[in-house]
Amino acid sequence: MYNVRTTLAKTLLASAFLLTTALVNAQCRSFAKNKCVPDLAPYKFNESFNAAQLAPGEEAEVNLTFYSGQEYRVMVCTHPILGEVNWKLVDENNKIVFESLADNPKHSFDLKAGSTSAMKVVVWVPSGGNTSMVHVGCVAILVGFKE
Amino acid sequence: MTTLQMKNLSLTLVLATCLAACGNEPPPQDKLTLENGVDSAIQAERMKKTKSIFYNIPSPMETAGLLKKAGAKYNKTILNDVKNVDKYTSAGQQALNLGIYGADLSYTSVFNHTQESMFYTSCSRKLADRLGVISAFNDSTLELMQSNLNDRDALLDIVSETYWNVDAYLKENGRDNISALMIAGGWVEGLYIATQISKINDTPELRQRIAEQRISLNDLSNLINSYELEDARLTSVKADIASLQAIFAEVASGAPGTATSEENGVPVIGTGGTAATLTDAQLIKIRDRTAEIRTTYIN
Repeated sequence: MYNVRTTLAKTLLASAFLLTTALVNAQCRSFAKNKCVPDLAPYKFNESFNAAQLAPGEEAEVNLTFYSGQEYRVMVCTHPILGEVNWKLVDENNKIVFESLADNPKHSFDLKAGSTSAMKVVVWVPSGGNTSMVHVGCVAILVGFKE
Repeated sequence: MTTLQMKNLSLTLVLATCLAACGNEPPPQDKLTLENGVDSAIQAERMKKTKSIFYNIPSPMETAGLLKKAGAKYNKTILNDVKNVDKYTSAGQQALNLGIYGADLSYTSVFNHTQESMFYTSCSRKLADRLGVISAFNDSTLELMQSNLNDRDALLDIVSETYWNVDAYLKENGRDNISALMIAGGWVEGLYIATQISKINDTPELRQRIAEQRISLNDLSNLINSYELEDARLTSVKADIASLQAIFAEVASGAPGTATSEENGVPVIGTGGTAATLTDAQLIKIRDRTAEIRTTYIN
């Protein structure tokens, strides 16, 4: 009987966790779709859903390929609860191509690829300082291209 | 009958025709091997490792656009037959072919072949339904496409949004492995289309774009290899990707430039690089291996 109860409790907890995760992620998608994707215009959204729930001190990175002759907009979109974040675009040799810091934020960077290359967007959320409140918020990293 | 009723009737007939064109009733399905049964500890560990790292594989729409710019011509005979849709009974097959039909849909849409776009949308929807992705595709998607058949930009936006919805839905619901298979299927179909077109429409630009797939192939490999699950289909896809990587390793991949200039106020990053190239023999090798892999996915 004890085992049945334990199993049932574990199953319920696991289900609740999965449901909560799905709901939080769905909110993140909805946020990215409604608040971020429109700002990619006139660039066409590349359809890749790169979004994560981040807390202060956490980091996310997205590996990207830029094709020669193509024009792109790289955008980092953050839920207001998290505040501004730091982000940079680096090339294969980790050389910084573009950087935006939280105290002087820029949410997008437009570029044309002179040659085909692999690059990486790195986003990191500044630490929360002395506050005991930890805010977790959605960060979406989006890419648009010109057809 | 009022005009509105006639319009609704004709729309219903068109939708019914599209659905009928895309195979008949599906045969009984194999057991869906979805993620729900996975050991939660394994899943939590995988999430911890990959939570913050994303591999952005060029979408089918972006790839189709690159092909068009490279001078590729439209050839519907190379696409996966819509009648095949009912063959796909396992979740792995359905996910791979959702990616394949999605790539075919992007190709037909970018080249403005709207009737075929409707057929491939119907096929994609059938597979999405069978995978339980109920919210990404619905009747209104087809209706919206039907009402925008003459507006290419609007049509492309609908296709893009639908692909994004499916991908996001899968990821949000802990079915990243299904999403990865869909992305792999779409990528393979994109390479298949490009290499088949090169048989009759071989341009230096097209060869360059094919050679450049080495970069996204590495990202695809990293994505697939981030799954340590005992999943037979993922394991076979990993092997397929590794075999392509071995061929691409021989390709002169070019070098990104290091200079920066400006064009119409927009920074041009990486000017002065060298372009990737393909020899005839390499192109044939890539074309043949891609066709072999794709054949195992669509049959």
